[in-house]
This record gives sequence, C-alpha cells and structure tokens, in this order.
Amino acid sequence: MRIGRIHSYKKVIAQLLLLALPTAALMYYDFWDANRFFSILQNDWLLQGSYFLAGLALSTVFYSYRFRFITTAAVLAVILLLAYKLLGALVVTEFGFLITIQFYIFCAIFCAAWMVGYGFSRARWFTILWSILLLVVQVLIVSKTAEIKATALIGAFLPVLAYAVYIIYTAELIRNMNEDGAGFGWFIGKRMIGFAVVLALLLAGTFTYFQQDFKAIEKEWGGMQPDYNKKGNSESMTKQDKDGTIKNKDQTRLTGSLNKGKRLVFVAKLDNFLPDGITPNPLYFTAYYYTKFDTLTQTFEMDTAHMPSNDLFKPDPSKIPLYFTRTDSTVIKNTHATLNRKVVNADVYKVLLSPSEYLAPSTAFSCQPIGVPREYQQQYASAYRAKMWVSDLNSAYFIYNPAGNKSLEDFQKQRFDILRRIKDFQGLDKTFYDYYTFMPNNEEYKKITALAKQITANAQTPIDKMLAIRNYFLSKDEFGQPLFKYSDNPGIPGIPSASKLSYFLFENRKGYCAYYAGATLFMLRALGIPSRLAAGFLTIDRSSKNPGWYWFYEDQAHAWVQAYFPGYGWMDFDTTIPDVNTQQASQPDQTPPLDMQQVYLVADGEVTNVDTVGKLVQMKVKNLLYHDQNYTTNTTLDLSTDASRATVSADTATVPLSALKKGMHITAASYAAVLKNIEATAKDSMLSIFKKIPNPVPVDEIKIIEKDEAKKLNKKEQLAASKPIDWVKMMWASLAAVATFILLLFLTPYFIWVYYNSRAKRNNGNARLAAFNKYRAASYYLNQLGYSRAMMGPQQYALQTDEQFGTRFSPFIAIYQKAKYSSSSLTPREEEIVAHFYNDFITQVDKNVPFKTRFNRFLNIYNTIGYFSQPK
Amino acid sequence: MEAIATEMNIQMEQALENIQKLTDNIETVIRGKRTQIQFILTALLAKGHILIEDNPGTGKTVMAKTLAKSISGLHHAGGADFKRIQFTPDLLPMDLIGSHIFDDIKKEFIFKKGPLFCNVLLADEINRASPKVQSALLECMAENQITMGDVTYPLERLFFTIATQNPVEMEGTYPLPAAQLDRFFLKIYFGYVDETTELNIYKDYLGIQSNLEHIQQVLSMDEILFLQDEAEKVFIHDEIIAAVRNIVTETRRHPDIVLGASTRSGITFLKCLKAFALVNGRTFVTEDDIQIITQAVLDHRLIYRNREAKQKALSNILEKEMSRLSKLKLEY
Repeated sequence: MRIGRIHSYKKVIAQLLLLALPTAALMYYDFWDANRFFSILQNDWLLQGSYFLAGLALSTVFYSYRFRFITTAAVLAVILLLAYKLLGALVVTEFGFLITIQFYIFCAIFCAAWMVGYGFSRARWFTILWSILLLVVQVLIVSKTAEIKATALIGAFLPVLAYAVYIIYTAELIRNMNEDGAGFGWFIGKRMIGFAVVLALLLAGTFTYFQQDFKAIEKEWGGMQPDYNKKGNSESMTKQDKDGTIKNKDQTRLTGSLNKGKRLVFVAKLDNFLPDGITPNPLYFTAYYYTKFDTLTQTFEMDTAHMPSNDLFKPDPSKIPLYFTRTDSTVIKNTHATLNRKVVNADVYKVLLSPSEYLAPSTAFSCQPIGVPREYQQQYASAYRAKMWVSDLNSAYFIYNPAGNKSLEDFQKQRFDILRRIKDFQGLDKTFYDYYTFMPNNEEYKKITALAKQITANAQTPIDKMLAIRNYFLSKDEFGQPLFKYSDNPGIPGIPSASKLSYFLFENRKGYCAYYAGATLFMLRALGIPSRLAAGFLTIDRSSKNPGWYWFYEDQAHAWVQAYFPGYGWMDFDTTIPDVNTQQASQPDQTPPLDMQQVYLVADGEVTNVDTVGKLVQMKVKNLLYHDQNYTTNTTLDLSTDASRATVSADTATVPLSALKKGMHITAASYAAVLKNIEATAKDSMLSIFKKIPNPVPVDEIKIIEKDEAKKLNKKEQLAASKPIDWVKMMWASLAAVATFILLLFLTPYFIWVYYNSRAKRNNGNARLAAFNKYRAASYYLNQLGYSRAMMGPQQYALQTDEQFGTRFSPFIAIYQKAKYSSSSLTPREEEIVAHFYNDFITQVDKNVPFKTRFNRFLNIYNTIGYFSQPK
Repeated sequence: MEAIATEMNIQMEQALENIQKLTDNIETVIRGKRTQIQFILTALLAKGHILIEDNPGTGKTVMAKTLAKSISGLHHAGGADFKRIQFTPDLLPMDLIGSHIFDDIKKEFIFKKGPLFCNVLLADEINRASPKVQSALLECMAENQITMGDVTYPLERLFFTIATQNPVEMEGTYPLPAAQLDRFFLKIYFGYVDETTELNIYKDYLGIQSNLEHIQQVLSMDEILFLQDEAEKVFIHDEIIAAVRNIVTETRRHPDIVLGASTRSGITFLKCLKAFALVNGRTFVTEDDIQIITQAVLDHRLIYRNREAKQKALSNILEKEMSRLSKLKLEY
C-alpha cells in the first residue's frame, strides 16, 4: 500500500527548518528558563529540549503523509504506555525509580511535541493558538517571579513574542507558497530576510524609544525584599542575589513601606576607638554614595560618571587572591581631607553578605581577603580586611543619646567644637561645590529651602545647622508629642505624583531612613552645605564583651547623610530618629572569630597537577607572599604543596580537594609553624625561598579564584551604566544617517542617468554597442521622465515618443533592432544615424519637458525601480 | 560566403518589394486595416491558415476576395482560384471535399472535386457547421490532401484558408475544440475601423465596389510560393527563439491558464514570426514582432481559468518577456 503525501518533500523540509527548528530553539530556552525558575537541581534543559525536537520533527514528517491523528496518536500512546510498564518491571535497582521518572518526563514532552508537530502540519490556525499558549505560560512564570527587572521581563517575553510573530508569519508563508514553482528556496529566503530586517528594526526601535520606560518599570516594580514575597510600592535597602547572598542596592527609592529582614549579614571587627583607647567608636559601613535624585521616580541613585572626586572604593573581594591586597590610593586623594586622619583596619566576616560585596567605613582604600579560622568556617563564608583613611571626628554617634557615658559626651562636644571652625565653604572647587549642593528647582524644593532656613535661623556654622536639623527631627509638637516618627510603612501621598519628600516633611512626618536622609540632604543643600547620601549598614555597639566587634543584621541596612567639611572630609550624619526595634539585636550575638591567623606563606598561581590520593597539589606560582614580603617572577615557578590539612574553598562553600582541576587559579596559604623559623632575607628571591622551605610545603587553606569573565561583564555593565549614551547626539547622528540615505535615494536615478549618459556619449567604434548604449540611455531617460514603455513594443514606443516630442527615435529603434537581432551588420548610413541620434534626441526631449518637471521626475525613485524591475 | 549572402539579400529585396506591392494593392480596397492585412499575409507566407473572429459586416469576406484577386493564378484569368463556403448547420463533409458521381458514359464513379480544391478558401462562419464538417475541413488544412477511399487527391500547392467565425457567445454556434483551433496559425479580430475611415468608406461606397472589380493582379502564384520560401530564410536570433520558448513554457505554468501552449504552437509561433518580419519588410525578427503577434498566435490555443484571466494572463507573460528582451545586452 502506498501512503499518499499531504505535503511535498520541499514543504516538509521548509516546515522542519523554518517551523520545527525555531520552535525547538525556543523550547530549549524555555526549558532552561523553567528549570532555572523552579530551581530544579539537575537542569536537563538540553535533554528535554532534544525530546521536544525529536517529537516535533518526527511528527512533522509523519503527518506529511496521509495519517489520521486520533488513531496514530492512540497507537503512540499505547506504545509509550507499554514501554513505561516494561521499564517499570525491568528496572529494579534503586535508581529504577529515577529512570522511570525520566521516561515519564520524556513521554510528556514527546507527546506534547507530537501534537505541536501535528498542528504545524495540518491545522491552519494552530500557530496562533500555540503562540497564545506560550505567552500565557510565560505570563504565569513571570507573575511568580519575585524580582522583576526590565532585563528579566525582556528576557521572558521577547523571545516568545518574536517567536509568535515569526511562527504565525512563516507558517502562513509555507502554507501559501507554491512549492512546485521554480526558485522556491529563494521565495522563502527573501521573505525570511525581509521579515528578519523588519523585526530587527522594530525591536531596535522599541528599545530605543521605550528604554526610559523599561527603566521606569524596573524602578516601579523591581527590587528584592527581605521577605522576598511582597512587591510593588515598597522598598528595601538590600537586595538578594541568585545564590541567596545579600548586598546593598546601588539605588534606593522613596516608597510607601520598607521591608526588613532579621538575619545576620556579616560580622566586623573595627579597631577604631575614642582617644581614651577603650571606648569603641563605631563607624557606619558604606556601600555606595547616592549623589543623584531622580525626581520622577523618587529614587536616589549612584552617579559614578559625573560625581566629582569619586572616593568610592569598590573592589570585588572574591576576585582577589587570598591574602593579597588590592589598594586604590586615589580615593584618599579624592577625599581632599588631611586633618585628624588615621588609618583604621576592619575585618569583615561574611555570613549572608554576597562574596563579591565590599563594605567598609568611608574612606576605604584597601581590601585583603583573609582566611576564616577553621573552627568558624561553618559560620562565616569568607572574610576580608579593609583599611580606611578615617577621620578622628567621624562617628556613628550623632543622633543616639550618649547620655550617661562621659567619654562619649566629651567626644561629641569636642568634635563639634572642632567642626565649628568651619564657617563657610569658600575656596572649595566650584564644580565640586555646585555638584554637591545641586537642588531641583521647583516649588516643592523652594518649600524645603524655606523650612531649612527657618529651622536653622539661629545657627551660624555648618555643624550648628546640621545639629539644628537633627533637633528639628527630634523636636516635639505643641501637644508634647514627637513631631516626627519612625515608620517602615509611612504610606504614600494621596496624589500619586506628589513629592514624597514634601509629604514626609510637611504632612505625614513618618518615614524610614531614606526619608530622613533625603529630607536632610535637601535641607543641607538648600543651606549651601555640600552633602550626599550614603548607603550601607548602620553600626550599633551592643557588645560590652568584645569591644570593637559589631554585628550586622538585615534591618541595619541603612541610608544616611554625609556632609563635607573642608579639610576634615566627609562626615557621617544620621538624622533618622531611632527605631527602637533596630537597637536590639534580633538574636544574641555570638562569639566573634579569633583574630586573624599569622600567615607565613601564600602562593598564588595555577594548578598543574592534583594528586587526590597523596593529597598533593602541584602549582605554578606567579605571586608569593612570604613572611609579609611580596615576591613575583616573570616566569612561573613550580611549587608542590601538601594539602592533607588544607580546606579548599570556592566563593561561598567548602569543596573537596577533587574539585581542584588543572588550570584553575588558586591561592594556597600556610599557617604551618615549620615556616615560622625559616625566615627570608632581603636577598632572597622566590626561587631561593622555594629551596629553603620543605617540599612539599604544608598548606592550610586553598581558595579557588574564579575566572575574571564574569567580572569583565560586570565592568562592561558598569561602563554602560556609568557612561550613559548621549541620546541627543545619537538622535542627530541617526537623523543625519537617515537624511544621507534619503538624499542618496533621491539622487540614485540621477547617478544612474549620469552613468548611462556617459556610456551613450562615448564612441568606441563598435556600432552595435554604441547603439545599445544610446538606446539604454534614451529609454532610461524617457522612463525617468515618466514616459514608460508599459505594454508597448519598442517600435510602437518609439513612434509614440516621436509623436510627442518630435524626436527621431523610431528610425533609431529600427536600426537598434537590426543591430540587436539581425545577422547582417549595419550599413554606413545606419551607423551615421546612430552616431547622430543621441544628442539631438536628448535636446529635443529637454525642449519639450520643462526643467522643473524633469527635476521632479528625476527625484522619483519609483520610476527607476519600475525601469529595472520585472513586471509582476 | 560573402557572395551567397549578397545574393540572398538581393532575393530578399525582391521579396520585400513584392510584399509591399501586395499589401498596397489590398489596401486600396480594405482601408484602415493594415495590421489585419499584415496578419493575413503572415499566415499566407507562413504556409498556414487564419481564423478571423468578428461580428458580421466588418469586411472579412471582401478581404479574402481581394487577396484572392490580387494573385494571378493558373486556372483562369480571374486570379487565383477563390472559393467561398458559407457554413451552415446542415452542411456535410461531402459538400466541402466533393463526392464520387456515377458517369453514365464511362460506366464508373468519377470524383467530383468540392470547393476545397482551390487556392484561397473563405470558410465563412465556420462555427455554424457541425463538428463533423469542421473536422473534415481542418484535416484537409493540416494534411493539404484529401483521401477518398483508396485514392489520395492532393490539394493545390497554394492552399490558404481564411475562416471566419462569429463570437462564440452568439447563438447557434458550435465552438471549435482547442485541438482544431490549433490548426489555425493565427486568430485575429477584424474590428471596426476608426471613425474617419468609416466616413471615408461610406463616401466611397461605390468606389470600393469598383475597386474590388478592378483590382489588379499584382503577384503570380509562383511569386507567392517564392515568398513562402523566402519567409523561411528570415534570420531569427537565438534570443528571440529563447523568448518564444519562455513565453510558450510560461503559459503552461501560469496559474490562470488551464491548458498551455504546445510545442507545435511554439514552432508555429516561430514560423509566424519569420513571416511577419518579412511582411514588415525586414529580413530579421525583432522584439516588436513578438509584441505584436503573440496574442494572435497563442490566444486561441490557450484555455483560461476564467474570463478575467483571458484578459490578463497572456499579456502578463508577454510583458515580462518583453521587459527581459528590452534590457538584454547581447555580446557585441
């Protein structure tokens, strides 16, 4: 029996290539996305996508024959069911269950793909249904996503949308094409190319025009909350990465409520004490400076690109080899502060804090990842030591009542006295001063300015003004009630577009840190005091047991104001009135890690060999730290290490030794007492040290350093973020490009004419070629002037032309036809006619067609297209 | 080579002169119909036959008569042998080809030749006759001979049929099947003359009649046969042949055409092109020739999907091919 075909093999190939393959590609992506979204451990998207592709391809080919759906699908179902039962009966090992599950997944995906293939092959409107289905699924997935970012939204919808348009278009194209016709491939091909161009233009246009909107959407809906469920009109000071770690956000928005978690983020030891040497002087830990306020979205943002004297040091500790130091002294220079300065160390032990995050009191300039002592490795993921250039006068104590603590009271008084020496900001760099005192110019801010002037009417110096503002927030109203309250849920003004700052200052008087900081910022700026917002963690000294140790919980993520005092630099001022909840630790603080261990040897390089049995790791060393001395070589030196006692750690987790692979970049550190007495002299090189020390050298800590690829990408992103594209310039450039294009388009007919004309005027002795060139130029000229040949034969056309313009086209055409089709050559008389025809002809035509008409017609590209294109 | 080419040219010149004479002669009677005259001469020189479709009274018969009278024949002094048959539904094949009649004296059947044994035959209103008669005529046209029993009678060396038919929409007609229409090289529409010419015709009504009476015999039968031979010598460029091939094959592909042109049609097409070029005084075929005669050569051989397609399909194909030819840059 021969089974008839429904589609020709050409159509089937087109369906496979143009429908099945793109669908499978999308499904690969969707499976990957869904697996990631549901956090399925074994992300089998590759396999699942292949199941789908197989089902789709088989079904497409199968149903191009005259098979009926219900019967064949039933047969397929029975076969799969039998196979499933058989597999269940055969496999008895403990993994049997898993295998049957795998098969189950296979069946589900295969059958779905089978049906889709049937739809593609037979049902005309199936592609529409299928696109709707995919979009609905995508909407469902997105609606469950906690973090909505513009990129995530685009990533979720763009492929499906593009696919939907594509598949409907292509399916219809394949359905309507005539596969028996010649040039079938080209027919499809040129439409595909056209479609791709149109789609690309559309997408590019959408992105260009709606980029701002995308960003606004992201701001409106984006953001990770500590309770990770709420979203919408609320904000948090931290965000959670995919791996569950936390970092500060590089922007904060004024919203109706603040979400706070209660988990421990990190622990830090800060050796900053008051002059008495006993009382710890806590400092706020800074992550970012917000110097820009987007009045539209009510968001404070980073502005690294335009910020004068950028003093933010933001290394990625996870990318720095263990015990190696990265410093950036430009930040010290950029603080422009020299008075009352000292260098302070801070050791930060990360719990939930993202491995790549770096937090330190301002102004930090150095980062050195350090090892976490073995007994604390369960508790702390990683650690680093930061060095800061800190002012004696800076302190977390500003708003908290230090009453009762004599040394603190004295300290407050002393530092304010010193700061009172600053009377004004004369002599400051103008750019710097203007930037940090910039205020939006509208009614809202004029009101704030008025309020600031009223509050600080009696204050003379900047610090007194600062204190006046603090006192204003702490003041009581006529009923003896606090004028301002702290609230995580201040609500929003009734008019959505109303300034939240004004609402906070003049009506509601409730808010969280960002409100107080924001209000303070603009009041300070209104008074001409350079200031900015800082974001990070507030430091609370709760511990009397371990002075200098501080615990940081999620709800300590904070924003506050920094004001600039020439000579003394940026000072932290926190005007947020106390939130009683934050003062108490949500759980008892634990014992802090021991002090940093004395490290004798740190080798940084590439793994060349790993012996998991003998626990030996061979490595090529590039950098070496030995007894705090840094050695480097141009070439690499081989070092054999004994890793039997070593803990191997990646960014966040401890991994077995077998995770080390050849070519990996690692840092090996040793605390071994053996090395303590083998000291290096000044003459020693890396080679001579390697000769001195035991071989293999025992190491205690191996840290795998991630390749820098991710970092590079980040840098790129930062670059893109820090250097915003100049849209105006872009617009002009694209306008100019479009104008040039249009101009060229308009000039194209003329250029072609110039070419033809020059060819026609040239006489190269070949009468036939001359006749052709003249004929071509003449007919192009006539056509461009709007006298197209249409359905006429050449002679008829020529006669008509002659009638209209009084030319002698007809005799020429007769000769041209002879030259073209006859076997005999032209007579001298005919050649003469050819030679004299052209110039007279053009002159005659020009005489009859006014210049203006000719000019207009020559701009008409359609005539040119008509001339060159085949009639339909 | 050179000498032969020159001689051929001289003969051509003679031929062109003769054609000009014939055309001018006919035009003295038939006015404002130069194209139609050229078509008819084309069919004559291509050794084919022509079908004229139009309403009664447009000058078809006069045309055929004039042509016949312009040729001096062997049979009698009145020019080439001209016969006219008015086709009617009750006409029988015998009425055309003749029949055997018993000769009392010789005591045997002798063949009495029918009107087909002539030089120029006007088959008037061919679509009024029954299909049997139509096919008898068309067979003769194809074979150029008549077979009665076991005797074959050849037709005249010059045998040219001008058939006319009323538009098929008119009542009482038997439309000719496509296979039979194929026998006619060209099918043309006579059409009404333009208004000025019409006025002149009215004015000269009597004059025309007398013109027909006094028409000169400008060419001999031999000269016509010579012209037919000359027509075959007309040069046809490979690109023109390719264009004909393209047009013919395109009719088979065109979605609006149910039955396309056959290979035989293509050959007929080429013959007509050559003859038409000669009629136009050229020794080579040009794209103009294709432009002008394609409709006449192919239209009646095609079966269209619908009336609308009839108006467009062929001209579409032609337009495409003409566009290609007009831009063609040959190797010089």
